[in-house]
Amino acid sequence: MIRVVALRKAIVAGLAGAAAMEVFSLASAAVGIPAVDLVRELSTSEFHRLPLIAEAAALIAHLSIGVSWAVFYAFFFWGRFHIRPMLQGLIFALLPATLAIVVVYPELAVMRTHADLVTLTLRSFFAPLSLATVASLLIAHALFGLTVGAIYRRPVGYSVDHKPPRPAQRRQISGPKRRENSTAFMFATGIECSYPTIDHGRWRRDEMESTRHYELWQHDFQLSREIGITHIRYGPPLHLVYEGPGRFDWDYVDPQMAELHDFGPEPIVDLCHFGLPSWLGDFQNPDIGPALEEYAGAFADRYPWARFYTPVNEMYVCARMSALDGLWNEQLHDEGAYARAAWNLANASVRMSDAILKRREDAVFINSESSEFYQPCCPDAEIQKVAEAANERRFLPLDLIFAHPLSKPMHDLLCSQGISEDDIGKIGRRKVPRRSILGVDYYEWNERLIDRQGHAQALGELFGWYVIADQYWQRYRRPMMHTETNKMDADGAPRWLWRQWHNVQLLAKAGVPLVGFTWYSLTDQIDWSIAINEALGLVYPVGLFDLNREARTVGLAYKHLIDLYRDQPAYADCAALREIMQ
Amino acid sequence: MKYGLVAAHGYDPGPSQRPLTAGAISGILATVPAILVLIAFGSLKVEAHILGISQLETLASGWLAMAVAGAIYARFFGRSANAVRGGWLFGSSFGFALWGAGAVLVLPLLSGGRAPAGDAAAGLALALIVWGFAIGVLVPFVHRPLHEGLEKASKHKSVGPDAAAVPKGPVHQQRPKSRS
Repeated sequence: MIRVVALRKAIVAGLAGAAAMEVFSLASAAVGIPAVDLVRELSTSEFHRLPLIAEAAALIAHLSIGVSWAVFYAFFFWGRFHIRPMLQGLIFALLPATLAIVVVYPELAVMRTHADLVTLTLRSFFAPLSLATVASLLIAHALFGLTVGAIYRRPVGYSVDHKPPRPAQRRQISGPKRRENSTAFMFATGIECSYPTIDHGRWRRDEMESTRHYELWQHDFQLSREIGITHIRYGPPLHLVYEGPGRFDWDYVDPQMAELHDFGPEPIVDLCHFGLPSWLGDFQNPDIGPALEEYAGAFADRYPWARFYTPVNEMYVCARMSALDGLWNEQLHDEGAYARAAWNLANASVRMSDAILKRREDAVFINSESSEFYQPCCPDAEIQKVAEAANERRFLPLDLIFAHPLSKPMHDLLCSQGISEDDIGKIGRRKVPRRSILGVDYYEWNERLIDRQGHAQALGELFGWYVIADQYWQRYRRPMMHTETNKMDADGAPRWLWRQWHNVQLLAKAGVPLVGFTWYSLTDQIDWSIAINEALGLVYPVGLFDLNREARTVGLAYKHLIDLYRDQPAYADCAALREIMQ
Repeated sequence: MKYGLVAAHGYDPGPSQRPLTAGAISGILATVPAILVLIAFGSLKVEAHILGISQLETLASGWLAMAVAGAIYARFFGRSANAVRGGWLFGSSFGFALWGAGAVLVLPLLSGGRAPAGDAAAGLALALIVWGFAIGVLVPFVHRPLHEGLEKASKHKSVGPDAAAVPKGPVHQQRPKSRS
């Protein structure tokens, strides 16, 4: 699979495209303009012995060829150019048009010959082609391409009013039971579960749906167990489960949670991952705190055995993408909106944690955040200021949930958005739950250079996870976990995995309490490089398994790593995790 | 992008997969329905005549050629060829390409311009598209049992701890670059 293909859309597009070609041929004939009618060509070349069904059979063949080309377009071509879909279709049409002119049309003439064998020359082979024939084939295929391009768009995601089919039924299986309250080092992965809206709240991205997890969830858990995964970051679809105040559709998560309860891996339940149910609006809504508190409480009531939670995933990324970069949800470009989103998310995270603690006082919170760092390119005061502001901004949500004193610029920014000193003081004086782990995510674009124009450029792995994670450790002094990493280049992924692992080991040796490591995610992801802000359906090979659920080399490498370390004394009983679990 | 379009899915099948074997086996199996089409349309007889060999020899050489073509198909499409949903399409495209490039253009060039015509030409086109469709459908199912298990595959040196190093060999074996 090169792209995720919306098969129904592609079939409709292909049928419509082929029909458009035929309408063009018939219309041209009606006004006396010579044009190639491919249905007639097919019926006279091969179906001539069955005159009663010749036209119908030729029409079916023509439509089938149209569908095949449209599916081909969807797999190989769609989304390759950043231009309007109709123009993409038009450019694509050059391929079938060329083949029709160079191979198919002349060969159809050979097939109409009343002989079994002919001797061809280039001249005789291309003899059936005239200027008018070529022009008419080009126009017909252009119409095909325009039609397919117009119809086939947004192969992934769905309208916000739509609900995808519920997850597949659970099949009975057997195997070793889940190991509860283990103090072994967490070798984790995750099921990518982002569900923000794009197109100003009209279109829902749902990575679990795009990667077919709702359909293959049981197989996915089985694969994770096979490579030795102990913990899985798992985000039930909040937007589908939480239907309104006091209303929950647990069918979207019951079977998966039952399986995880019985056989593991131990879930780290990710309650809010970049999106909200449409009835809650977006992250500018101050009511999301109480609403998500209700959801977290209901979740903990329903699954009292679940112990690990990420109340809100990557609050900084969520606020930045939604309110500053204008890509998701509210799609704003405003520093104040960023501050409001960050405040609302942090407030929600705190309330959710408290709601869970009321039900399960030994709950463990893994607050994952993207570790980022901005390096000024030069001594220019303005550039230094931009980098400093970006570095302060990245800490804001974590400062709030970990009750770390806010920097003056961030404090003033919150106040300028109507957040009272009293509220800021309350959250700052809060007693942070003892069992809180700081999850630090890291990718090769997390280190950034502020260039001379004041723009952030990716630096690649300059300082590395060790240095960046240490900044977070120095600031918060919480037990830590490497909660996300991957590599877009599948060939280089094993190397990246082992290098990240060495970073983890080095930081642990330096005395930082590290409790886990995560390759994110179990399967390849869709539209990963464009932050899922467009519904293109491009597959990125970042998973331990591809979307056919076959192991990638990094999946094999991770199994190798886990097998090598899990029984080592320091990992079989991880002192830092034991301290938390007590 | 190293392999163009196909790289979008992460082309490299990795050490646990056997694309050449799976492709060759599937290519042989897919030839069965293709032969039926060739016989039904009288194309086999015409091909044998053009090649100047018996029908049996044409069948044998065709089978061999399609085993090679199958191996090429599975290696070229890599992980994409393992897609149950998309395989039919990749295979059909490959079959169409074999027909367009091989049967329509190359065969006449190699045989002094002699080419099948009429029903025989139609049968040849259909046979190659049927072959392509069949290999596309077959490869995922033929390939899966040939995969190395996770246990064994994860022990390959290429995915072990040495993978962390820059792939240039041990430091003591690396020669410093000349400054001249």
